[in-house]
Amino acid sequence: MVYVLRRIGFFLLTLWAAVTLNFLLPRMMPGSPTDAAIAKLAQNGPVTDATRKAIEAQLGVPDGNILEQYFGYLHQVLTLDFGVSYTFYPQSVSEMIWQAFPYTIVLVGFVTIIAFILGTLIGVLTAWKRNTWLDALPTLSGSFASTFPYFWTALLLLFFAGYVLHLFPTSGAFGPTATPAFTWDFFMDVLYHAALPALTILITSLGGWIIGMRNAMINTLGDDYVTFAEANGLKGRTVAIRYAARNAILPNLTGFGLALGGVVGGSVLVEQVFGYPGIGYLLFNAVIGQDYPLMQALFLMITVSVLIANFLVDIMYGVLDPRTRR
Amino acid sequence: MTNSKTRRKRLSVIAGISVVAMLISSCSIQIKSEPDPSIPRDTMLIAADKGSPMFEKIFNPFLFNKRVAASYVYEPLTAVNVLDGTQTPWLAEKVTLKDARTIDYTIRQGVTWSDGEKFTPEDVVFTFNLIKKYPTLDVKGAWQHIASVEVDGDHVIVHLKDDDAPAADVISLTLIVPEHIWKDVKSPDTWRDENPVGTGPFTVGNFSSQQYTMDKNQDYWQSDKVQIQHLVLPAATSELDIVTKGFDWAYSFMSNVEGTWGAANPDNKNWFPPGGVISLVPNLAKAPWDNVDLRKGLALALDRDKIADAATEGYMGKAGQTGLMLPNQEAELNPEIPNDGIVKQDADAALAAFKKAGYTLVNGTMVDASGKPFTFSVTTANGYADWLRAIQEVRKQLAAIGIDITIKQPQPAGYQQAIQNGDYEVAMGGMGGGNVFQAYNSLLSSEFYVKNGELAPSNFQRYSDPKTDALLTQYKETIDPAKQLQISHQLQKIVYDQLPVIGLYYGGLWGLYNTSKFTGWPTAEDPYAPPQTYDSSPLLIFTKLKLANKDGE
Repeated sequence: MVYVLRRIGFFLLTLWAAVTLNFLLPRMMPGSPTDAAIAKLAQNGPVTDATRKAIEAQLGVPDGNILEQYFGYLHQVLTLDFGVSYTFYPQSVSEMIWQAFPYTIVLVGFVTIIAFILGTLIGVLTAWKRNTWLDALPTLSGSFASTFPYFWTALLLLFFAGYVLHLFPTSGAFGPTATPAFTWDFFMDVLYHAALPALTILITSLGGWIIGMRNAMINTLGDDYVTFAEANGLKGRTVAIRYAARNAILPNLTGFGLALGGVVGGSVLVEQVFGYPGIGYLLFNAVIGQDYPLMQALFLMITVSVLIANFLVDIMYGVLDPRTRR
Repeated sequence: MTNSKTRRKRLSVIAGISVVAMLISSCSIQIKSEPDPSIPRDTMLIAADKGSPMFEKIFNPFLFNKRVAASYVYEPLTAVNVLDGTQTPWLAEKVTLKDARTIDYTIRQGVTWSDGEKFTPEDVVFTFNLIKKYPTLDVKGAWQHIASVEVDGDHVIVHLKDDDAPAADVISLTLIVPEHIWKDVKSPDTWRDENPVGTGPFTVGNFSSQQYTMDKNQDYWQSDKVQIQHLVLPAATSELDIVTKGFDWAYSFMSNVEGTWGAANPDNKNWFPPGGVISLVPNLAKAPWDNVDLRKGLALALDRDKIADAATEGYMGKAGQTGLMLPNQEAELNPEIPNDGIVKQDADAALAAFKKAGYTLVNGTMVDASGKPFTFSVTTANGYADWLRAIQEVRKQLAAIGIDITIKQPQPAGYQQAIQNGDYEVAMGGMGGGNVFQAYNSLLSSEFYVKNGELAPSNFQRYSDPKTDALLTQYKETIDPAKQLQISHQLQKIVYDQLPVIGLYYGGLWGLYNTSKFTGWPTAEDPYAPPQTYDSSPLLIFTKLKLANKDGE
């Protein structure tokens, strides 16, 4: 119980620090939201003073000293009302996030779960069959694929599968003439459009799970109780799954918790390459446009979910591994 | 054990080979344009609006986040060709300056709004009063010049605050909205105007977050001139999309345009007219840049052909020191300025000018009077690739005469802040633009002069000269074009002699168009409008384009 309370206290402290940092960081970037909007306009021709004033007024650029802004911000955090977005004026921040959220959850969340399950299972297999081709092939190709940066794999897939072979659509979350609705057709359209970005994330993240699981598993396989189980003449599969894998999965589970927490951040590069309207793309636009309200809301969302995931993993560890409770 | 090792080796070799093969094959793949066969011949696929990444239905023409097609729905009093500043009467049939502080707009008769209501002079006055009441909507700054607006029969008379003849060019660009709809809007400054009613050639058709269509306004007052029946505007307009999806019109810089856009379809054409002069902007309020000889030395030290080539892959040419865009503004050029204002590279003259400014070349290094090497930084915006390539070429050329420059590249917002606050030594920037007076006024007027550290709206180099101000005032006071031209000549001379900024090369307007379905595009031979898909150019172009015959012409 003390353990849980300590964890909760620690959680709240980190939360406050994250919330405050989240307020300060965007303000340390050079330039203001108006500057960003004007820099964008200036590429199409000179911007007059009047235009600048009009934009400033439209945005309602923050006034008051930094302390007042901070308290206003804390109020926003507590009420979850982040006001109007600068880059997407006059749309509100919550409107923008609600639009992007489902796509990211479906795409990144789903793929993260698949990658974890698939990667862990393959990891068990490779460790069990170590030094055969069943080990070499997944381990080697997994680590090979995961050394590619996301965007590089994404660009290759986009170019070949999208533009050259026309197998998959090249951008967007659904077809140009489709309207979002809860119908089977629309759902299939969304899946079709999510295929390439999902494949990219899967290819690049699978390797990590495989290798993590394989390494932990090989360690456990050398333990006495596994040898003992084998000596008892238990079936290979029983030894691998029930004895070795069950103990080896702990580190991977931690990683999975954190990865799930990070899901809400989307995948900036992949979403950017495929023009996928998720949180990652939104975040990119917010940063480019110095959109304080949107950035704060997004970063807050990401930090809080990572913190919560962390907290849950901590608690879970306390349950799974009694040593950490002390 | 050894067996598995060789196996692994073999595997990695195979993997390596396949990657190399992929890279090689990608070099030789020629992307072809494959137009969507379901798009009919009278429908234009146009890459004008970029989703971020989805479209939001905002057609309020006064919001900066509006859909680009809002300017195909709402029309201005006059349409301007920013290449040379020519004004074409639009919703105003005629614009007369009674004197330097009174503009008389004769409002066009027989124009209707797309909902059938009649367009009247009252709509014009309503619009002006609307953007006065909500200054956030006054994006062109009309009310910086206007004192009052009144209706007089079919005329709208605009009284200016001061003698300010060139203000007409700004005021005329105001997009006019219908009184009968906008008068009931509670807060027009946040209103999205999802179903816009305008006088323009198109109305909104199907709208989804990834693509929208515009349908021809059948009651348009120039209906006979508009042959396009529909526009399709997708949100996905990356360069690969533009090349592969059979766009009829796009506005985008494209590297190796002949090999990409041009090679994708035999009817794909491009026209890149100059849209401004990309320049070095020295901070005149910071020593040593207040010294005109130093600026002269810098100007003479540069080979502009090479800079233009490096920056724009040879698509744009070197620019003159007058700030004019040639050939489109040729009529404006002061004939007394030698060589069309182009400063030629001349190492000896450059060294002489540097010497006069107190800088000498010692052992291959340019040093000031105290013997310290002369170096400075150039600020540009991160991601503006052509500007960066230009500076890199400048650095190379200056290194040859012993000057070492450093390049600073903050994000665009940081760059904007740096030049506005005078927090730079030399920056990259633009000068010029369609309207001669506005260009010189924002470049030179001490009205915009502020000290370093304070925010300058324009005139970022902080130039201030009473004689120049007097010329600008005279320009405002006259309505005689001959007198205006004469003053313009003097202003050109000042920019040429004083070098408040140092012109390098022309920034381009990147028009890509296809002639298989539509003909009559603006070209170098017929530059009636810039090929840009925003502001009033599309109105000029939509009313000129003809449907091509089946056999291509």
